[in-house]
Amino acid sequence: MNTVMNNGATVLKSSLLLMWSRYLLVFGGGVVLLAGMFFLNITQGEAGIGIQTLIDAFVAPQDVADHHVIRTLRLPRATMGLLAGAALAAAGTLLQTITRNPLSSTETLGINSGAFLAVNAAAVFFPAAFSSNSLIVAFIGGLAAIALVYAMAGGLTASPVRLTLAGMAVTLAIGAVSGTLQLMYEENTGRLLAWGSGSLEQTNWSGVRFAVPWIFPSALIAVALSRSLDLFELGDEMAQSLGQRVPLVRMTSLLLAVLLAAATVSVVGGIGFIGLIAPHLMRLIGIRRHLPLLISSMIWGAIVLLGADTLARMVADGSDELSAGAVTAIIGGPWMIWLAIRARKGGGHLQRSSDSSTLASRLSGRTPYPVLLMVLAVLFVVIWFLGISLGSLRLHISDILAAMAGGGDELTRNIIFNMRLPRMLVAAVAGAALAASGLLLQGIVKNPLADPSIVGVSAGAGVGALLLLIVLPHIHISWLPAAAFAGAFASAAIVYAVSRRSGMNPAILVLVGVAVSAMGSGIIQMLVIQAKIRASAALSWLAGSTYARTWEELWQLMIWPAVLLPVAWWLCRKLDLLALSDEVPTGLGVNVIRTRIWAGIIGVAIAAAAVATVGTVGFVGLIAPHAARILIGHNHRRLLPATLLIGALLLMTADLVGRLLFSPKEIPSGLVVALLGAPYFIALMRKSVARK
Amino acid sequence: MKTVNDALGVVEIKGVPQRVVALDWVYLEDVLAAGVQPVGAADIEGYKTWVKVKVAIGPDVQDVGARFEPNLEQIAALKPDLIIGVKYRHEKIADQLKAIAPTLIFDPFSPEETQDPYKEMEETFMTIADVLGKKDEGQKMLDNLNGMYTEAKEKLKDNKAGANYVLLQAFSDQNAVTFRIFTDNSLAGFILSKLGMTNAYKSDKLEEFGFSETSVETLTKVQDASLITMIQTDDEVLNNFMKDNPVWKGLTFVKENRIFALGGDTWPFGGPLSAEVFTERVVSVLGK
Repeated sequence: MNTVMNNGATVLKSSLLLMWSRYLLVFGGGVVLLAGMFFLNITQGEAGIGIQTLIDAFVAPQDVADHHVIRTLRLPRATMGLLAGAALAAAGTLLQTITRNPLSSTETLGINSGAFLAVNAAAVFFPAAFSSNSLIVAFIGGLAAIALVYAMAGGLTASPVRLTLAGMAVTLAIGAVSGTLQLMYEENTGRLLAWGSGSLEQTNWSGVRFAVPWIFPSALIAVALSRSLDLFELGDEMAQSLGQRVPLVRMTSLLLAVLLAAATVSVVGGIGFIGLIAPHLMRLIGIRRHLPLLISSMIWGAIVLLGADTLARMVADGSDELSAGAVTAIIGGPWMIWLAIRARKGGGHLQRSSDSSTLASRLSGRTPYPVLLMVLAVLFVVIWFLGISLGSLRLHISDILAAMAGGGDELTRNIIFNMRLPRMLVAAVAGAALAASGLLLQGIVKNPLADPSIVGVSAGAGVGALLLLIVLPHIHISWLPAAAFAGAFASAAIVYAVSRRSGMNPAILVLVGVAVSAMGSGIIQMLVIQAKIRASAALSWLAGSTYARTWEELWQLMIWPAVLLPVAWWLCRKLDLLALSDEVPTGLGVNVIRTRIWAGIIGVAIAAAAVATVGTVGFVGLIAPHAARILIGHNHRRLLPATLLIGALLLMTADLVGRLLFSPKEIPSGLVVALLGAPYFIALMRKSVARK
Repeated sequence: MKTVNDALGVVEIKGVPQRVVALDWVYLEDVLAAGVQPVGAADIEGYKTWVKVKVAIGPDVQDVGARFEPNLEQIAALKPDLIIGVKYRHEKIADQLKAIAPTLIFDPFSPEETQDPYKEMEETFMTIADVLGKKDEGQKMLDNLNGMYTEAKEKLKDNKAGANYVLLQAFSDQNAVTFRIFTDNSLAGFILSKLGMTNAYKSDKLEEFGFSETSVETLTKVQDASLITMIQTDDEVLNNFMKDNPVWKGLTFVKENRIFALGGDTWPFGGPLSAEVFTERVVSVLGK
């Protein structure tokens, strides 16, 4: 301490020096690196063009094929990469500042997926209008998505974790709708797949010409706003007292960010993580003021994206393009993990959400617990009966009873016993398993927005399954559940291993889970594109499907919940204590960390078993425990049976609706769950926020 | 009683099946080519868009849902006596299908079959024709087809434009254009070589489905050949994206006007009926 005081002057001087050398590195070095990356990028391609020809194409352009390739294919591609990288980085910087949230970006706040869904929907429903208005469409989609995220997270001042979770829930819901569209209109949107994962491919300058008039002015306004943005970091009140019109600046910045994202999404598709990585890198180097921060972020955002594209093309070796978006997701994941750990050190605390507790206190006690369970059980039987009798053939009650008694005609028996019954039961067990997993994970994370997918289970299972489907297509399909299970466990293990260093801190667990999931979906997208005409099989599995499930699959699935649920029930009491605080249970002799680890392992195992059987079904683990808590309150032992029933009900209903909606075409039940569940979930969150 | 070897093992079929359900377009086409109307088929609407052949699908044929997840109940309700599917889509439900009726599952993309898809097409078609009791008709169909190739080869003999070719499908997604360039180990590649034509495009690796997905740059390497395209009319990739592109305009086959459009409903993954239409269209656009 003393030394520092004594040498104050020297320190100041050397820090000034340090600052200037930093600036030189960031700007000078950045520009040089960007130029190098740009050049490297345009050397790549299928036509096999030498360096000399490349240089000639600029200094002495001729009307030959190679020169045209460089000037009208590779140059626009690299330029688009530069623009997109800069735009996303600028958007990320703006979002991080106005949300005062280090984890904000157009990806984590759902803007990219909202824009993508809008463009996707427009491509299906208004193909003519779509081609000329894709930016407006993307802009509206992005804006709607972020509005939703804010509404769910509880307004403009939501905590980082809450905002990230809300962003993820919205992304999940939007992804489900996009997935439904892609499956239902396989031919119309199949082409959008490659673009959706972020491909920089350009065939002329029109993409650049389209994007520039939006990206340039937006970036300029952002730079012009930089002084106001500096004040923002002091807090709303301070900024207000200094004459800042906080709401205006916030609104403008938000619109700029969405516009920048929409301009890139509508040209190159969804590219994630650039907006997260670039501004952080700059803040890390020590750049605080927004003028240099915005400019340097844009330079380095462009470097990262061009680098990702260069890497993608190196790996792709000529044919079968790998998308830059997939690469940024794969390299962005570890970055986010690291950020999450740092954010913790900076004091990023997790707020305990009381959404459902306020609601719960209003509702619980009104209906006695046994009555509630009875109602759920009756509902279960009703849905079960409907599920047996309805389908593309309607079975009359007398036929069903006859078949149950061992009579009836063969067709009826076959339909009931080999088709409807096993798939309904698989749906019920898988739904219950996912719900139980959600309850356990919400218990340890102490956040009602948690879900099995946040610990990487879904993404990991997807990677495992797709590796089998696409990389080893000649292995028998019955290995699929095993591959998915292995993938789910592996990725959950990564999440745990990383979070363990922080004593299983809930906030870190969530953020690491989100990051690992994002990496997983990057790999999944990459594999789906490689799948070419096998893609539809992969897509339906990823969407989560109870289609044509068999008795064997039911038995395989049953083992896990049968063994683990009693243990879960035993752990429930400790979870009740965990909900209070970390100190109380420790005082009562409960090992907090060990409880979290065990509940986590069981939650992951149950969810992995379900996901291995029915694919990546989201939302059940999110909604079922949430709904149960509203009905029952916070006692975990009372919650568990209700949660199981609600989860089973949800997936069974989804199975039934998916069979009936567009019969004879079937809609994967995972998509139906998301379509049914997302509006409910959003409404619930809005309601609970309004109550606060 | 017949025993048939398919991709998953041995299938026993009693008598001559009368009620066939085809779960993939190529087998639907095979059944039609053998002179039989199926009772059910998957995604009939899609088939009509993408596959133009000379035998029409009857109005009574029932749709049994999507190709990737066909409706099992619907299939069972049709009381079929033969179901035909494809391994990469229907392996997982093979047991359930077999519980309904004897089921043949073919795998045109296995490592062996992908070497010679034409042979696979002939063999699969003949297997299906044989099972349906139409062996003679099937053989006649293939003989006719071979005769057609000989005739077509004769007609194309003096056609310099057709000697070297590149066969292309194209799709656009936003600004990006994806080209599928067909390799020698594609069904279409085999047919064209029977017509005495040479594929100018070679991939570095054995392409599983008989095509590389690539960009316009690749075309600069094969620009001396003629370009044969199969592009959907609602996705006019070449007009929308390539017309003003200097790279495109500079390609030899563009400058010398050697682009031949077969139409988007020419199906390069089909059976003998598709092969017939494909050959006719090649002759009609090239044989001038």
